[in-house]
Amino acid sequence: MDGLTASGCPFVEDSFSRFSSQSNVYGLCKAGEQDLLAATLKGKVVNFKYQDLRQKIRPVAKELQFTYIPVDAEIVSIDAFHKSPPKQGLVVGITFIKDSGDKASPFLNIYCDYEPGSEYNLDSIAQSCLNLELQFTPFQLYHTEVYCGNGNEKETVFLLSGHDQRIHLYKENASLHQFEEQPIESLFPELQDLPSNVLRLHMVNISGSLRRLTAFGCQNGCVGVAHVDQSSSVVLQSWQLQQDGPISNVLLFSLSWNTETRKTTSQSTVDDGKRSKERFNLLVTSAIELAVVYRDVLTTGLNDQVVLPDSDQYDAVLCSLVTDVDFDGTEEILLGTYGQELLCYKYSTDAGDLENLDGHFKLAWNRSFQSPLLSLAYLDLTSDGLCELAVLSLKGLHVLQYSLTQTAEFVIQRLQQKVKEASSDMLDNKGRDCGTKDI
Amino acid sequence: MRSLSFVQRVSLDFSGTLFPHAICLGDADNDKLNELVVGDTSGKLYVYKNDDPKPWLTRFCVGMVTCVGVGDVCNKGKNFVVAVGAEGWFHLFDMNLSQIKTDASGHQETVLGDDLKPSFTQHIPANTKVILISDIDGDGRNELVVGYTDRVVRAFRWEESLDSTELGSGQLVLLKKWLLEGQVDSLSVNPGPDGSPQLMVSQPGCGYAILRCTWISTFDSQTNGASVSESSTGDVNMRLTSGRIHNKNVSTHLIGSIKRGPTEESTKCGLFALCTLDGTLKLMDSFDQLLWSFQVDHQLFALQKLDVTGDGCEEVVACAWDGQTYIIDHNRMVVRFQFDENVNAFCAGQYACKDGRNSPCLVYVSFNHKIYVYWRVELERMESTNLLKVLDEKEEFRKLLGKLHLDPGDSTTVKNMIHELLYGGAYKE
Repeated sequence: MDGLTASGCPFVEDSFSRFSSQSNVYGLCKAGEQDLLAATLKGKVVNFKYQDLRQKIRPVAKELQFTYIPVDAEIVSIDAFHKSPPKQGLVVGITFIKDSGDKASPFLNIYCDYEPGSEYNLDSIAQSCLNLELQFTPFQLYHTEVYCGNGNEKETVFLLSGHDQRIHLYKENASLHQFEEQPIESLFPELQDLPSNVLRLHMVNISGSLRRLTAFGCQNGCVGVAHVDQSSSVVLQSWQLQQDGPISNVLLFSLSWNTETRKTTSQSTVDDGKRSKERFNLLVTSAIELAVVYRDVLTTGLNDQVVLPDSDQYDAVLCSLVTDVDFDGTEEILLGTYGQELLCYKYSTDAGDLENLDGHFKLAWNRSFQSPLLSLAYLDLTSDGLCELAVLSLKGLHVLQYSLTQTAEFVIQRLQQKVKEASSDMLDNKGRDCGTKDI
Repeated sequence: MRSLSFVQRVSLDFSGTLFPHAICLGDADNDKLNELVVGDTSGKLYVYKNDDPKPWLTRFCVGMVTCVGVGDVCNKGKNFVVAVGAEGWFHLFDMNLSQIKTDASGHQETVLGDDLKPSFTQHIPANTKVILISDIDGDGRNELVVGYTDRVVRAFRWEESLDSTELGSGQLVLLKKWLLEGQVDSLSVNPGPDGSPQLMVSQPGCGYAILRCTWISTFDSQTNGASVSESSTGDVNMRLTSGRIHNKNVSTHLIGSIKRGPTEESTKCGLFALCTLDGTLKLMDSFDQLLWSFQVDHQLFALQKLDVTGDGCEEVVACAWDGQTYIIDHNRMVVRFQFDENVNAFCAGQYACKDGRNSPCLVYVSFNHKIYVYWRVELERMESTNLLKVLDEKEEFRKLLGKLHLDPGDSTTVKNMIHELLYGGAYKE
């Protein structure tokens, strides 16, 4: 499928919100479908969204007053998630260090409103806080969905890495309506006995199974991947390797996640079958080395390495994102660097076959920014089905939107194709209502 | 308020200090591409071309250059560069390509000699502050208007002696002198209610004055301006704009002839904008009607116009000393940009920085020996919008939705369909 034919960056900046103090690599998270939360060092949390006002949308960045964050607090990390169904509500976690002079004390605040009707209201969530004092310096606050009990119940939990070489699990105690720390071993056996402090964690639940892939990158350059069966809490396979310098990010991705779905849009059963056989790749970015991708980790472990050429030319890579930027059904890799550059890599093979293993990554485009890039997020902020790219930089939050003139033309092209297909379908099976069935 | 961060910029070397009006963009060498002309307080004149950090040309003037301009001041059908010094020296430079010898690298040969001198100099009254090259009396020929620090405005016309076509044979002849009540910070021309040009000057306290441009049309160049008409009552038509003015002495800038659309006739009733150092911004038309006004808490010291959306309507661009820049369209939609340094001088306009074509640029002169040119300030639109609203305006899209039996008003369904078209999978969080 042909993607957006743009030479260079398809994005244009729609909004830039300057922050009063700098943020960090753990400072940006999605909060629901159309909200972003960005935390700044001086204890302020900014809520960015598009407001619909009189048939117009306008970008709004306003400070959210999260309760129980002292004035002298410095925020380390922020994360948010929707509770797994059937539970309802948005949960926001903020870690910070309160420096009262003699001794710095770290905390984790978890915000969550149980009042029916306000479970998703950020303003009221910000007022209901659970304050947990930590015995370690917090790093990344991460969340993932796990299968608990006999594997029928899903629950989303917080995972917090610390400078004590451990990862801590915070899970909701349903009867108490409260989050509490629980031993990591029972649900996350792969996260015991870590080699160093974990800077970055990424997990993927393999769809159609109860298995999960976990990747972590450490301060000492160690990268680990584990294949875990959640129903029995057993580590099926695990791999580790050592790189030079701290690992800034690890990301598991499948590269061609929707090539199959494109061909057979309406046959969801086939789709699921393909997905379980998908190959997972691991992107590893480090502070001093080139960014690399380990291909098909489930089969080859960490042996099949491809480098992203010139990814070390713009200072350290601090953040990364894998998504289908140009709508061609293949994912691209976006890297944000301390050297104020956003890089986009595209996987290309000579034969054009993505399963082919002699492909390589090529720099498709890059875009400069005013200050170092810290974090990236890709979500539909404007609520039009088209995602925006949020880029957190040292000075503030940039929201990049696709060039709408160009994308509108592209959508019309695709729609014409769809109409053509639908009308030929109509001829094939007369009498069946199929024009809109896969929407 | 929507704000943006522009990043594509080039920095040009500039070691001098300058007056705020000693910078302008214009086609100095008549190649249809605009250059940046800057004059400094030591009398040096720099012309920058494309993204070259070194000046393309350097020239020397007498005294401190207070204002520069590019225009067809001699009415010869080609542009000249004008630089006026505080001491009253008027310099005219011919920078047409045939006149310029350049070395292989494109820089001008560093030969000291006649090449570096102006093509023409003349002494006019001193204490100049701001100049304007434009047709102010509607006769189709350009005049030179000079604003002075002593609240005086003078209009000059270039007169050739009849027997020669050489540049050196002409001279500036004074047409008229006006005495204003307050300091004149900007000069501009704006089409009046009847479409004829009106000379407007800014006056303190967000005010302006319209100067009557009537003089004996058949001018005798031999009198050397002795018969100059002094301003009489009625020649200066002072207007104060309504509204809350905190300080009636506050420095005010003005810009006129703001384009309302791509066609010429749309300029029939001219738009002009005013800004003050205490942060008032106004857009008015020549019937004295206020289109909008608003207040910012930044000290605005420069006012320009620039079409950033490419629709033929020019936006108002105001810059504050601290680098905060406002771009405002006729419907009062605002885009903000913060330049990260204090600003010594500012201008906005078309400049051929990259790719051999003019593009809208913002030019900031900093205090650290650099001029920054933001060469890509083009916006698709002034206000934020989304794909649904853009598609909704397309007939083709509505037609296609109809074929799929979808209701264009059902935004959730349309949104999900767009997501599926672009990303393949169903819409998910």
